[in-house]
Amino acid sequence: MTDPRDNLTPAERRAFEALPREVGPPKGLEDRTVAMLQSRGMLAVPLRPIRATPHRWQPAWLVGAAAASLALFASGMAVGQYLGARTATLAAAVGAGSMAQRAMNVERTSTQYLEALSSFSRWSDSADAGTRERATQAALTSLTTAAREVARLAPDDPLAAAVLRGLAERSRQGSSSPSRTVVWY
Amino acid sequence: MAAPAVLEPERALAARVLAGDDLAFRQLYRRHTPRLFALVSRLVGGREADAEDVVQDTWFKATERLGDFRWECAFGTWLCAIGVNVVKEQARRRMRRPEVDWPEDHDPPQAAPLDRVEPMDLDRAIAALPDGYRTVLVLHDVEGYTHEEIGATLGIAAGTSKSQLFWARQAVRAALGSRQKGSPA
Repeated sequence: MTDPRDNLTPAERRAFEALPREVGPPKGLEDRTVAMLQSRGMLAVPLRPIRATPHRWQPAWLVGAAAASLALFASGMAVGQYLGARTATLAAAVGAGSMAQRAMNVERTSTQYLEALSSFSRWSDSADAGTRERATQAALTSLTTAAREVARLAPDDPLAAAVLRGLAERSRQGSSSPSRTVVWY
Repeated sequence: MAAPAVLEPERALAARVLAGDDLAFRQLYRRHTPRLFALVSRLVGGREADAEDVVQDTWFKATERLGDFRWECAFGTWLCAIGVNVVKEQARRRMRRPEVDWPEDHDPPQAAPLDRVEPMDLDRAIAALPDGYRTVLVLHDVEGYTHEEIGATLGIAAGTSKSQLFWARQAVRAALGSRQKGSPA
């Protein structure tokens, strides 16, 4: 025989049937669940769209761009002033009337030449073979030309004569070797 | 007149989820989570944080096993069955006693069937039940499972399920009866 308490009364049954079968889950649970599945590699992580333009004009970028523009402008000014001064110096050297001025120009440009040669010599290890060869040829050409001019100025100067002899000897030896690049200026 | 929205078949959504499509997952989630959340909330006695954990874990397991789902029952039914098992596992992990029977030192409540029951009171009374009783009552009287299905889901005999349901109903009646006696006429 069935215990009457085994069965629900109509009121109890109605109460059970009235209970909600669906309840909206808390906000954020969906995103947390998706994130959890993404972190475990079960769902793909969508790629973020690339924002092409907005962040290009952020303040930090603008400041950097302005600083770079100013630096470029200042560099241009400095180079322009340097080239202008150099051109003026050369023009003065060519056009100077007095020997004293020419002698001073020789002294100044000789110093610059020696400084440039010395500087290149110090750092020549870091230069590639082609660059080193070109610079050496330029230096030898300058030395040859300078020795000839010195010999013309002072025909009895033994140092100028020795340099010219050495250079002539080197030239003869080099004629049997492969052609060299000669720098004329 | 606007055409009714056509829902993408769940099988197609599931195939996309298996390919890692998070949007397809969100569609499945939104369709089935309200029912799942209502069920697991009742099973955990209304503790919302526990219910959220169960929902997340349920979706994790469902996504993991989705490729093996044979579609011999409704997706929602399968999902809720996973949810019931997750509740069971969580209770075990938390070292809660899986209360299969009423504690020996406790007299089972004696209560007469009720003629008037408010659904809200009923939900509160269900939440106050011991875990094992609550699970059987919710699955049988709210979700409509048979004792055989409950036995298969929880790993207990169908007779045990019947016995637990009897005592669970008695406990609910006792709680509601005392509430009704205490309320003003």
